[in-house]
Amino acid sequence: MATKDNDPAEMWRTMLGEMEKGFNSFATQTMTSPEFSKVMNQAGGLAAGAQKQFGDMMEKYLVGMNLPSRAQLVNMAERLQAIEGQLSEIKALLYQVHHNSAAPDNRVSVTPKPPRTRRPPSSSGGST
Amino acid sequence: MNAPSAASALDFTSVPERIQSEVQRAIQRSIKGVEYIASSGPVPGATPKDIILSRGTMQLYHYRPMADEIYRIPILIVMATTNRGYILDLAPGQSMVEFLLKRGYDVYMLDWTAPKPEEKNLRLDDYVLGFIPECVRAVQQDSGETDINIIGYCAGGMLSTLYASLFTDGPLKNLVCFTTPIDFTQMKLFQNFSDRRYFDVDRLVDSVGNVPAEMIVTSFDMLRPAARAVGQVQLWENIWNDEYVKSYRMMDKWGNDTLPLAGEYFRQMTKDLMWDNKIFNDTMTVGGRKAVLANIKVPILHVVAEHDHIVPYEAARHLIARVGSTDKEEVMLKGGHVSLVAGANAVKRMWPKLDSWLGERSV
Repeated sequence: MATKDNDPAEMWRTMLGEMEKGFNSFATQTMTSPEFSKVMNQAGGLAAGAQKQFGDMMEKYLVGMNLPSRAQLVNMAERLQAIEGQLSEIKALLYQVHHNSAAPDNRVSVTPKPPRTRRPPSSSGGST
Repeated sequence: MNAPSAASALDFTSVPERIQSEVQRAIQRSIKGVEYIASSGPVPGATPKDIILSRGTMQLYHYRPMADEIYRIPILIVMATTNRGYILDLAPGQSMVEFLLKRGYDVYMLDWTAPKPEEKNLRLDDYVLGFIPECVRAVQQDSGETDINIIGYCAGGMLSTLYASLFTDGPLKNLVCFTTPIDFTQMKLFQNFSDRRYFDVDRLVDSVGNVPAEMIVTSFDMLRPAARAVGQVQLWENIWNDEYVKSYRMMDKWGNDTLPLAGEYFRQMTKDLMWDNKIFNDTMTVGGRKAVLANIKVPILHVVAEHDHIVPYEAARHLIARVGSTDKEEVMLKGGHVSLVAGANAVKRMWPKLDSWLGERSV
């Protein structure tokens, strides 16, 4: 029967894990050097500047074409999600109100909050 | 010397069995692989909740209680500013929030959305003196209780710690921090990425406004550059396993769902914390008020992870040593920065510890 020591699939997993550790360790050593910081920040600074300029240019272009930008679409999607969430809440509340009005005593009740009297298991002597 | 031969080490009798199993998995991989691409994945953060306060980047949720009787003191969870709060509410059975609700806690969460371009001027002061106190007041009003417990995760822990050091007259009753950095010189890679000789934070913030999420994701990825590629290989290998895939997708979604940071907040974090290490040096000021760790006198629990590659233990270990509380405890648990709070490790180790510590202090 295959065990952890002679299972080729397990050997592969172990090898993969070791490779990951080795590569991460090597990369970490490289990235702690001041030279790496210098090169990374030079490249990063240039890239950020270029990205910003490109973004501004595209924004102007899209405004000119009367088209929304990606940021505007993402913003709109987030707002739609929030509206959907609120609609679900309203739906749940309406259901609750309808359910209560259909009840014999015809009273609209709010779900009561549980009492704040709980004690930890050790002090109450029982399990929770 | 009786070294086993290569043949016996590989145990050829099990080869047909292994081949059969691998063929079955290969077929399953093909089927599930198509499903993976075609489906949208699980939806995290589904524990029923109400948004009770929303202002710009700040959102305050109240989770609906799940116990018939709850502890007197409500909990406010303060999330890290770069990440979504649903890491603490991944799925039923994998949710710290659900666990706390079932154990009888009244849970609120201060979560963040991406700051809008007009919020680029938000500073640490706005988070510590504005958002947190505003949420504390809302929790007090909603729960009807004056006292409050705060749980802060990572940068959320750092913000909570600053809040606790400034608001020493209450209403904070107990403070719990998860992997909270104090000595920023010990975050070696982040230190090197933001080396003041080469990193022009003013130029970056002045040119981009809010710091893009892609930049934050890249800097986290760089801490373990092979992790993403190995993760993909492991996903393919385990794609026949629905539970693995579900878990992978939720974690992957969360990892990629990183938030941008408000520009001024990032500038202040870089200068005051990464460069001048002001919290550790007791020179931190927030809104002109001195924030000193020794001012914290409330009971405090700090949970740290043994293999945390984002906030190494060396960066976190000073919190308990420096606070002025007499009732204080540090717990180191197995796991990494994320597996400390979510996943099998958390279910087994951290959540029960949190419950036992907080329960007796929440009455």
